[in-house]
Amino acid sequence: MYRYDEFDVEFVRQRVAQFRDQVDRRLAGELTEDEFKPLRLMNGVYLQLHAYMLRIAVPYGTLSSRQMRKLAHIARTYDRGTGHFTTRQNLQFNWPKLSDIPAILDELADVEMHAIQTSGNCIRNVTADHFAGATADEVADPRPYAEIIRQWSSLHPEFSFLPRKFKVAVIGSDRDRAAMQLHDIGLHLKRLADGRLGFAVFVGGGMGRTPFIAKKIRDELPQADLLSYLEAILRVYNLQGRRDNKYKARIKILVHEIGADAFRAQVEAEWLRIREGALKLPEAEIKRIDAYFAPPAFDRRPTRIALRAPDRPFDRWVTRNTHTHKQPGYVIVTISLKPIGGIPGDASADQMDAVADLAEQYSFDEVRVTHEQNLVLPHVRIEDLRAVYDRLKAIGLAEANVGLATDIIACPGLDYCALANARSIPIAQRISDRLSKRQDQIGDLKIKISGCINACGHHHVGHIGILGVEKRGEEHYQLLLGGSGAEDAALALIAGPGFGPDGIVDAVETIVDTYLKLRRSPDEPFLAAYGRLGAAPFKEALYAAA
Amino acid sequence: MSKHASQRCILTANRLTDGTAVFLDFEGAWSESIVEAVVAHSPDEVRALEDRAAYDAAHNLVVEPYLVEIREVAGHLEPIRYRERVRAGGPTILGDVPGYTQPFPSPLAREEREPFIRAA
Ligand code: SF4
Repeated sequence: MYRYDEFDVEFVRQRVAQFRDQVDRRLAGELTEDEFKPLRLMNGVYLQLHAYMLRIAVPYGTLSSRQMRKLAHIARTYDRGTGHFTTRQNLQFNWPKLSDIPAILDELADVEMHAIQTSGNCIRNVTADHFAGATADEVADPRPYAEIIRQWSSLHPEFSFLPRKFKVAVIGSDRDRAAMQLHDIGLHLKRLADGRLGFAVFVGGGMGRTPFIAKKIRDELPQADLLSYLEAILRVYNLQGRRDNKYKARIKILVHEIGADAFRAQVEAEWLRIREGALKLPEAEIKRIDAYFAPPAFDRRPTRIALRAPDRPFDRWVTRNTHTHKQPGYVIVTISLKPIGGIPGDASADQMDAVADLAEQYSFDEVRVTHEQNLVLPHVRIEDLRAVYDRLKAIGLAEANVGLATDIIACPGLDYCALANARSIPIAQRISDRLSKRQDQIGDLKIKISGCINACGHHHVGHIGILGVEKRGEEHYQLLLGGSGAEDAALALIAGPGFGPDGIVDAVETIVDTYLKLRRSPDEPFLAAYGRLGAAPFKEALYAAA
Repeated sequence: MSKHASQRCILTANRLTDGTAVFLDFEGAWSESIVEAVVAHSPDEVRALEDRAAYDAAHNLVVEPYLVEIREVAGHLEPIRYRERVRAGGPTILGDVPGYTQPFPSPLAREEREPFIRAA
């Protein structure tokens, strides 16, 4: 589990006390907004459209029941009863009062949580495969390495003021469930040629204004060299990143401008210099961190039990929302936070409490947050599935739609976000409502919606992506097709002229209808059909009548 | 802010203590309701709003004040940009689709989105 050691405890308490004092001084008028703004941002506090917003770090998306209960308590006590899980595996509260935020941070510190490095030009919360440590398809659990990176990057003096924010993702499987190639650094934990564990290193991925798929700059990095290599990358970026232009300051632009080969050469030169230095990871240290993530005490279970109950909703849910576990007799359960017509990623305080109870009773006290804005119970006995399903159903979280057309990613958009051009959530609600009856027929389809070019809703890698823009003061939506954030990462392309808020929902339905008409069989998913057919028939269907 | 001064406009900001979107009203107070916003019609009135914005921000009543251009629609005034209409009205989460349960009563959302401000 997340290792919040004595250093973290003391540091976080100090930081809360410091921030309490800063808030008091701000409210008393002793600090101006110009002075205060960078301080609040360092503590995860944004000023949004209607209120302040607090972003809380969930390291590699892993939460204990106790932490989840605390989030529920905060939602109930200081917010309006809801939390919003984001595409960064974090949690945001949309309505905290500034005067309450020190108290919230104190409560978070009680459960070893905080909001540090959730904003600003530093190394942000490290994300990981949400099935880490549980999935049958992984080589090893990537979270110990995410934790090592968290410890190294927390308050790193050299990298606290980078040219821009910096995001790292780690996966331990050939299946990419963390959009690893869309991060500033993506690490793929794998077996090296010599049989030992190590990494393939990807650099310069990202979405936003100028999207890029990351370039692989090293195929084999021994684990002992992880931190020295990361330090070399960050150092090259820190020196050469475009501080003169915010829009060109991410590492992806540097890698693109000088080329991956030149970038690699500089990194390797720096790495050679520091490789044998203080950042070498001793085997014993890796083992020490590894031990915190040791698998829970699984009992020996029969590998097969009668799974399929006769009633269809349960059957559907098991088929869609569970994933193969590495331990026979167990499965991974994804809890969809996408009820039909609901707000993607939102959970009420009562739902959070209920999920915490489920995790405690059925999943070794663990919950995960996915970048697709769902929750995961990573270790559930097959024989407990029925009980878990029934409890989820009682709290409105048993939608059997993981990976389907209604499992939509949507950023907060113009309903909350000060940077937004257009709303995301109501568009997601309408599409969900519109496609819900046919979602099983449609099959795997990832729809992703962002309210502006910053792409928090990952529209660049949606099978169908939607980007909100502003046109003459009104909302307008671009439609993108053919993206993927998985191991076959690809950037979606704009289909053509955009649509209004109603038109975009119709347009998505037109794309779906066209796919259903043209697919070879129900076994050909949308992305495969799009790859075979190209954009032409879809554009034709969208624009022919115009 | 002066670049907005060509049109009729109102002054908005976020309240320091809780971030709520507020509008300068007829009495010189900050109201949560755009309906009560005072409208500047002339360059002099716009300058007065700007002065007031600078003063109240400096005195830590509000944060990030700015002018919002408005227009007349069917006898009422409303912000020209959709963004400002959402900001004034609160989140527009759809309550009429099946999976949505409103987690909280939203006083801002309850106010009718239109009319916003009565035309003078
Ligand atoms: S994509 Fe834009 S609108 Fe959506 S949350 Fe990010 S910054 Fe806000």
